[in-house]
Amino acid sequence: MQTKVKEKKSTRQKTAPLFLIALPGIVYLLINNYLPMAGLFLAFKRYNFMKGIFSSDWCGFDNFKFLFTTKDAWIMTRNTILYNLAFIILGTAMSILIAILLCELGQKLRAKLFQSVLILPNMLSWVIVSFVVFAILNADSGFINNAILKPLGIEGVSWYTFTGAWPIILIITNLWKSAGYSSIVYMAGISGIDKSLYESAALDGATKLQQIKNITLPMLKPTVITMTIMSVGRMFYSDFGLFYQVPQNSGALFPVTQTIDTYVYRGLMENNNIGMSSAAGFYQSIIGFILVLAANAIVRKLDRDNAMF
Amino acid sequence: MKKTVVTLMAAGLLAGAIVAMPVYADDYDQVTFAYATMNNLPTEEGLSTVQEAVNEITREKIGVEVTLKPIGLADYTQSVTLSLQAGEKIDVLSSIYTFASDVSNGMLYDITDLIDEAAPETKELIGEDWLKTCMYEGSLYALPTYKPVASHGYFVCRQDILDELGIDVSTVKSAEDLTDIFAQVAEAHPEMTVLAPLSQGNLDEGSLWYGIDYLSDSREKAYGVLFDGDTTVKNLYESDYFMEQSKLVREWYEAGYIMKDAATTTSSVSELMTSGNYFGHFTENGLMPEDLAAILTSLEGGGNPITVIDLREPYISTSTINMVTWGIASNTKVPEAAMKFLNLTYTDPDVLNLIIFGLEGRDYVLDEDGCYGYPEGQDAATVPYTAALSNGIIGNAFIMHRSVGTSEEDNEALLEANKTATVSPALGFMFDSTDVSIQYTAVNNVASQYLPGLLCGSTDPETELPAFVDALNAAGLQDIIDAKQKQLDVWLAENK
Repeated sequence: MQTKVKEKKSTRQKTAPLFLIALPGIVYLLINNYLPMAGLFLAFKRYNFMKGIFSSDWCGFDNFKFLFTTKDAWIMTRNTILYNLAFIILGTAMSILIAILLCELGQKLRAKLFQSVLILPNMLSWVIVSFVVFAILNADSGFINNAILKPLGIEGVSWYTFTGAWPIILIITNLWKSAGYSSIVYMAGISGIDKSLYESAALDGATKLQQIKNITLPMLKPTVITMTIMSVGRMFYSDFGLFYQVPQNSGALFPVTQTIDTYVYRGLMENNNIGMSSAAGFYQSIIGFILVLAANAIVRKLDRDNAMF
Repeated sequence: MKKTVVTLMAAGLLAGAIVAMPVYADDYDQVTFAYATMNNLPTEEGLSTVQEAVNEITREKIGVEVTLKPIGLADYTQSVTLSLQAGEKIDVLSSIYTFASDVSNGMLYDITDLIDEAAPETKELIGEDWLKTCMYEGSLYALPTYKPVASHGYFVCRQDILDELGIDVSTVKSAEDLTDIFAQVAEAHPEMTVLAPLSQGNLDEGSLWYGIDYLSDSREKAYGVLFDGDTTVKNLYESDYFMEQSKLVREWYEAGYIMKDAATTTSSVSELMTSGNYFGHFTENGLMPEDLAAILTSLEGGGNPITVIDLREPYISTSTINMVTWGIASNTKVPEAAMKFLNLTYTDPDVLNLIIFGLEGRDYVLDEDGCYGYPEGQDAATVPYTAALSNGIIGNAFIMHRSVGTSEEDNEALLEANKTATVSPALGFMFDSTDVSIQYTAVNNVASQYLPGLLCGSTDPETELPAFVDALNAAGLQDIIDAKQKQLDVWLAENK
């Protein structure tokens, strides 16, 4: 009995500092992610300013209707999902590629330099990025029209009304901005791989490419799975800055740039309806939650060890 | 020793606290006045001296002390809404384009009876007809700002270029007549773009459309309108008139008169004009052409003289008048004091000029004509206090100091124009869109997709306009038109 208490006490002593370290994170989660959940009430209320959140009148699922009434519902859902799929697949491939290349550079100074250059775009706000893109695509004085097409004798393209180009422009812009940053995780993964594996492979005469294919990639699998499951959970969200700022809010591009977030913003900016916007947010979280569970279930089926839960 | 120090410190703190405690005299009601400023926010000292000067008047006249709360225009609506939600004290506030939603959100105090008690002068000044535009279900919720509203449709352009090409604008009476001028300018100045958009995706050729009541919508996005004299709600975009105008704009675009990126540019019209690369733009304004030209020359001429061509007579509808209104917060503890103060902003030049221009001598000076200017070596950005650019959104514009280049006679002419301008048969009608908010969301999205292209000529109306109309109908535009017609019929029956 005596020893048990002592044991308990000592585990508590051991875990206390760990809790202390986690405390800021826990507090942040509580304040930022759990407290605002009370706002979900708004999704089911006809919000009246003076009555407040809790005593406004209930209105059932009325606030959700606007998401599904028009044919836009299909377009924005399709865009959101397809773009996110492209980002997940291409983004992961690109980040792993960057991570491997950077690790192969070996020399510290050189690797650090390239890494900083690649991460820099991630620090820029989308508004700034949108003007960088604008400087390249602008119809009257943009780089492509003036410095490339004009000397070739090709007539300038009005890029901000040319729907066909935008899926590619958006994907490139997104990769340019985020791939360098997400490669950090994979670099950490690579540096955690036991060096003796590479040494013995080299002794057996494996080439660099064979080493990458048979050692690096398989060892990175758990990281890839975790990262993918996390991004699948955000599949119904889109990066507002990317889809709103970068196309300069151009109406002609809506068929290829409209996502759930921009639709909600555009639709509600003018009639200021808080109920409908929280309904949209609620809907996205529910679908996101289901997607995470589904993705994890699939991973668990295929490979039990790598599932998150 | 230690103890003494602590005691001393405590005593010091206490003394400090006593000194710092605001001294409120019990017999003055405290009113907080939140107003939007388009100037820089005043310095703390600038604000407190102006506030004290206002209080000297209000204490004596109405027994009220006022706290001035200037907020930048861009943040105004959101900031006031959040403050009220958080229970912060704001008693007098304005609705800038948001009157209808502020009323339906329950933000505004019912002032139907209060106005007779506390602000009879203002009631008489504004008049029943205008007050009707701030009524909702038979109750009065706000006061419209009193200013020149009889706005004309103008084409603003560079005088020096007109002179250089020897163009006579006196024969120009409509948008069609401008095409010739554009052609001459484009030929003589190929380096120049003829037309700058007024705002992103809006050339605002629409400021020349006459006799349309947008029924609580805006000219940029109109879902169901009345054409002059008629009381049947119609879809503007299905009308022959809109097709005609879109074709004209398209013609200009194809001839290269319109900025190519007009549908997406985020540069403001004054930036574009100041650069000297643009010839002109459309706009709607309540000022006389000469006055507007004087103001725009300094604002966007970039060293070149600007002239203004009048192309459309004024037409007054509900939204012209209730664009900016002043009301009292529904959770105020001092409705009467707030109303009394609001009354002063419409009737007392001293109070109003303090709020708009600050202290005479320090923040502004008057010339021999009684027009305001900034003190020697200072400008709007360097004086401690000024809200001069807010002159059209606070109180009564007719009792403020005038800007340079304007005269007393202009003011009288503007006042006269307010009374004589043609008015819409639905003046006073306000559309409550609560029941069709789902359709509004959907049509808003459709409109932001198609309209910029049509309004700036970058898409062909022959093919795009029918597609736009189809998309609007699929998004439920007819429901909005029906709802408008139904409410309008009820309103007409009550008010005829």
